[in-house]
Amino acid sequence: MLSHFVIGATSGLYIGDLLFYAISFIILIALVKHFAWGPVTKMMDERANKISGDLDYAEKSRNEATDLAAKRQAELNKSQTEATNIVTTARQNGEKQRQTIVDQAQSDVTTLKANAQKDIVQERADALKSAQDDVAALSIEIASKIIQKELNATDQKALIDSYIEGLGKQNGAR
Amino acid sequence: MDEESYVVKFLGIPFNITNVVSGLLAMVLVFCLVWFLSRNLTLRPKGKQNVLEWLIDFTNGIVSTNIPGEQGKRFNLLAFVLFLFIFVANQMGLLIQVIIGGKTLIKSPTSDPMVTMALALIVLLVSHYFGVMIFGVKGYLVNSYMRPVSFMLPINILEEFTNFLTLAFRLYGNIFAGEVLLTLIGSVAKSHGLVTTVVALPLEMIWQGFSIFIGSIQAYVFVTLSMVYISKKVEVEE
Repeated sequence: MLSHFVIGATSGLYIGDLLFYAISFIILIALVKHFAWGPVTKMMDERANKISGDLDYAEKSRNEATDLAAKRQAELNKSQTEATNIVTTARQNGEKQRQTIVDQAQSDVTTLKANAQKDIVQERADALKSAQDDVAALSIEIASKIIQKELNATDQKALIDSYIEGLGKQNGAR
Repeated sequence: MDEESYVVKFLGIPFNITNVVSGLLAMVLVFCLVWFLSRNLTLRPKGKQNVLEWLIDFTNGIVSTNIPGEQGKRFNLLAFVLFLFIFVANQMGLLIQVIIGGKTLIKSPTSDPMVTMALALIVLLVSHYFGVMIFGVKGYLVNSYMRPVSFMLPINILEEFTNFLTLAFRLYGNIFAGEVLLTLIGSVAKSHGLVTTVVALPLEMIWQGFSIFIGSIQAYVFVTLSMVYISKKVEVEE
């Protein structure tokens, strides 16, 4: 038992063990590195990179989203103003058009009324003329019947006309 | 614990077969463990991958607290393998002791001073190698032995040996003592029939639990101190 406390007291230093452990430990490190350490640390690095990348990406996305929201708000405001403009313009146009139509109608009505008045005046003049003619013819017929004499309608017409004129004047004076 | 070991001379160099076999077994166990844990790696870790990544984070944490910055990253793998190997080696003797013909074949490899000295030697060589690689020979000598003042040189040189020996024997002593006590309790259990067995059984269980605790703590301590010694060589002390 004491031999363990005094190094190499009985069987000498086991130099071979030192060599064996040094070499096999290096081999063990190489094996562990190749089969476990390498892949795992690579995976851990990858994960760390991915996490930091994802965080960056999330940050970027959030900024983009904020930008988009601001842009959308601006667009919304712009389109609202535009809509107001459009409505205002349409209302003004409508107003103008209405005014035009009303003016047009008024002028039409005025023209129509003037025409109608002219027509009426014309009609009355025509009617008066035709009545004059009728009365002349009738008077001639009556006179010829009375005097049993064929009066030349054309010769006498001037006379009758002046007579009727005189009647008319009498009527007008009355 | 005082059983004989197989000693074989090969090319005039004595080999302790007990250490070789149990060390090899511990290494195979470590490799199988990490190999098993590292199958089917995915970006989203689950199950065993989490265990492996937790272990890696744990040993990386030990390294980064002692050697901060980019400098420490190259020692991550060493710390990881060293920790796993010492941990497995420490616990191995608690689970299996194979004794054939009165000669031990398998036990905790770390309960032998040669094995712990081999491990300490690896750490020592790594620390000096990187010290020279980073600062050059002159810078390494100044940084390692003349700091903080030049008259500390003898103490610093002495410290190299004491660091090496304490690193090796702390681990060896803890694990060896644990095994000695386990064997003693075991022999007590066998000494007077059923009565002593009943008495020794809970004692054995308690001590085994404590040994598991000690084995874990010592693995942690060994790796931490290794990193402290390495950091002394690769970093400029203020």
